[in-house]
Amino acid sequence: MDLFLHLCVMIIIYIIFAMSLNLEVGYTGLFNFGHVAFFGISAYTSALLSLQQVPFELSLLIALAMAGLWGFLLSIPSLRLRGDYFGIVTLGFGEIIRMVFQNEVWFTKGPMGLPGIPKPILFSYRFATLSQYLLLTLGFAALTFLILRIILRSPFGRVLRAIREDEVAAEALGKNVFFFRIKSFVIGSLFAGLAGTLWGHYTTFISPGDFTLLETILVLLIVVLGGKGTEWGPVLGAFVLIFFQESLRFLRLPAEWTRYLAPLQQMIFGGLLIVLMIFRPEGLLKEKGRGSNAGN
Amino acid sequence: MDFLFQSILNGILAGCIYALFAMGLTLIYGVLNFVNFAHGELIMWGAYFLYFLMGKPFGFPLPIALIPALLLTILLGIGMDRFVFKPLRTANRLTLLIAALGLSFLLRNGAQFLWGAELRTYGFEIKRGLRILGISITLNQVAIILTSIVCIVFVYLLFHRTRLGKSMRAVSDNLELARVMGIDSKHAIQFAWVIASVLAGVGGILLALDTNLQPGMGLINLVKAFAATLLGGVGNIWGALLGGIVIGLAENLGVLVISPGYKDAIAFGIMVLMLLIRPSALLGRQE
Amino acid sequence: MKRIVHLILISLGILIFINPSASAQDTYKIGAAFALSGAIAVYGEGFKKAVDLAVEEINTAGGIKGKKIEIVYEDNKSTPKDCVTAVRKLVAVDKVPILFGPAGSSNFMAAAPVAQESKVVMLSAQGAAPALTKAGEYIFRVFPSDVLQGKGISDLCVSLKYMEVPIMYVNNDWGLGLKNVFVENFKKAGGKVTDEIPYDDGKTDYRTELIRATKGNPKAVVNLTYITSGAVMFKQTYEMGIKTQWICGSAAKAPKLVELAGKAVEGIIGTYPVFSQETKEYNAFRAAWKKKYGDDKVPIFGEYNYDMVYITAKAIEKGGYTSGGIQKALFEVAKGYRGVTGDKTFDQDRGVGSEYGVWTVKDGLIVDYKK
Repeated sequence: MDLFLHLCVMIIIYIIFAMSLNLEVGYTGLFNFGHVAFFGISAYTSALLSLQQVPFELSLLIALAMAGLWGFLLSIPSLRLRGDYFGIVTLGFGEIIRMVFQNEVWFTKGPMGLPGIPKPILFSYRFATLSQYLLLTLGFAALTFLILRIILRSPFGRVLRAIREDEVAAEALGKNVFFFRIKSFVIGSLFAGLAGTLWGHYTTFISPGDFTLLETILVLLIVVLGGKGTEWGPVLGAFVLIFFQESLRFLRLPAEWTRYLAPLQQMIFGGLLIVLMIFRPEGLLKEKGRGSNAGN
Repeated sequence: MDFLFQSILNGILAGCIYALFAMGLTLIYGVLNFVNFAHGELIMWGAYFLYFLMGKPFGFPLPIALIPALLLTILLGIGMDRFVFKPLRTANRLTLLIAALGLSFLLRNGAQFLWGAELRTYGFEIKRGLRILGISITLNQVAIILTSIVCIVFVYLLFHRTRLGKSMRAVSDNLELARVMGIDSKHAIQFAWVIASVLAGVGGILLALDTNLQPGMGLINLVKAFAATLLGGVGNIWGALLGGIVIGLAENLGVLVISPGYKDAIAFGIMVLMLLIRPSALLGRQE
Repeated sequence: MKRIVHLILISLGILIFINPSASAQDTYKIGAAFALSGAIAVYGEGFKKAVDLAVEEINTAGGIKGKKIEIVYEDNKSTPKDCVTAVRKLVAVDKVPILFGPAGSSNFMAAAPVAQESKVVMLSAQGAAPALTKAGEYIFRVFPSDVLQGKGISDLCVSLKYMEVPIMYVNNDWGLGLKNVFVENFKKAGGKVTDEIPYDDGKTDYRTELIRATKGNPKAVVNLTYITSGAVMFKQTYEMGIKTQWICGSAAKAPKLVELAGKAVEGIIGTYPVFSQETKEYNAFRAAWKKKYGDDKVPIFGEYNYDMVYITAKAIEKGGYTSGGIQKALFEVAKGYRGVTGDKTFDQDRGVGSEYGVWTVKDGLIVDYKK
């Protein structure tokens, strides 16, 4: 049962993480390949503050603000670039942030990681056990879901989709494409930060190894598999993918096979991405009112 | 001063390798207009094909194994296009990018599945480098520099002096227009893949001869090649060489000054900086 | 919407269907969250071989009070995240009271709170970070802490009269931790560290780092390296014709290093937690290894993993198959226990002590260093 609860917590954290990426990739059409950076910035901020006895409410807020701030700082110059170049710049940013975690030992303890991050106390209620923590993450996930839903159903959300579909037309309608993209990116970073904070306080130990490019790929896969640009896509994607990944543990294969199993599993991931892109690029769930082959 | 010259040599060496990779990337980008994230795996498989042919049960010596290894790499490149990118010719950019990312994942782990994650070598005896003017250089390294120059000149001539090259350039400028003009675009695209695969295979083998084989060897260097491509101008052959060498030098000289923990950040830093300061001047051709 | 609910329900159903308690309690199950894939899988495979050898011996000799031991391997994929999941699975699904933790200090420390919180004993046979067992009273190590090795390397430098050395280290928990202890001790002994060069493991080109380290031709360079990066570095040093005395730590002491780098590693020296290879325990171990695997290539830290299994078996026998019992019994059975790696008595921090020796590569073989 504990394993089940643990997997649920993981899945829900990934759902929040994926929802934030979905806002950028799915709704706004930004190829963010360094999303894990914001996850990491918040995880570290909140962990460092909490270890200095700062109350959780405050450290959470500061952590979110930091993620948003860095998202803002990165977006101003890089959002002038388009498509692939933006992807490469964000990818680079993600790697640099990881290197900072790794190398600024005086600040982050570097590769030694930060142990003993306290479990969160929210309004004097301590979320210590697995089921309590599950409730906490569920609450935050629901909140994220609702906020994003409100945002995306508002006129603001419609503009984002318009920009994704046809930037020039949106510009012609008098929308400042650049500012809308920045806003989308900052909101996305903020929620990635929420996921990161929850992650750090859950495992109680973080190290630079948690924030690699592989995480970005996993969460991108979740978004694409579930159905980018849909409300329930990230939820479904996270569930299916993490469930698939972890259920392999139960196959009871001889340990000698593990050496082959892990690469095989990753091969399936890669293959799945290709097959999806060729046969069902919209993912498991399809965005309403959008053709299967709408290009941008 | 010796260590400074030696670092410059190392920078040039790394730069030549980056340039070989960057040329392949830029070629595919030029013709098909997307970043092939799986190019690094083409590099890696090129090196592993040679390893495979030199090992049991074949045991071919290096010169004999070289040609079939490159042929296999070409086959892989063509296969990539045929089974993954061709069906996506009309797809949007994100779809293509994700498919390429997936392909990279598939191929990298495929190599790990077959050969494991550990380092491998071609098993040549280690030799001391030649000493010239206080710096040492091995025969492999001489080969790297010469081969890259030969490859670049070859590709340049191909592009600018032959009919086929001209048709490739026409396709890369405007696919529709090229078709109207009666240029066989399929042929040109296929040829671009052949050249890109050969460059990747040669680069991978040279890199592996100089260092080691490892499933991740392509990916690590690909990011640098990206940087070189962007720096030199997308679609620009000489730019790829120049960009590669600038990145190689900056990395290797930078390590002498800043903490080596940030070595990989240097390429990124230059790339980001350049993109931010003067994107239009650097990207030889805008979208 | 309906389809999502269905999919989620189906997956839940499958999860519940997999009934973990199906296998009867006719064996003593011990968990092992090893790195069977990922970055440090090279090490994980070796540990597994050593553990398997010990288990086979114990089981052939009648097991523990007639019951056999069974190791439940769980792949930790060499990442902290998967280490947590692997340990959770062993604790929750396989319900083991004791498990062997992941290698790599940061991986181990990510998983340690889970074991402590679930009150399950977790042992490390290769973690070297001093803070390793801080998570609580259920966390043990049968491998000595870096505090000792760092001092060992410093003493070695001093005794060889290398008083000014640059230090290179793998930029991870092990390398950084060891470097800190070394620098502290070396300064105390009057030495001077001229440069500090961190580098990532698993790259193909370290030439410029090497040039920076050997700038000004130091007589010796301390290099806290792993097998893979070490092999590349020594090869490139050799090619560039750099001549200096390399001083390594324990993680490079492996036949694989010599296999990969050949004559380039000839003459390098390093420290390692030493145990006599002349004892009857060690001879028996070596003979058993040769019989089972047909070679002399005992993987790095293999002996510690072997000892860990024996101590665990003894603790289960004495304290019973409960985590509380094992936790208490571990102190008693290990007290004065002489394993392959020497005395395994636990101190109050649930760690063990060790002496440090010096190894070198001579004619392609790893041997004890003699001046």
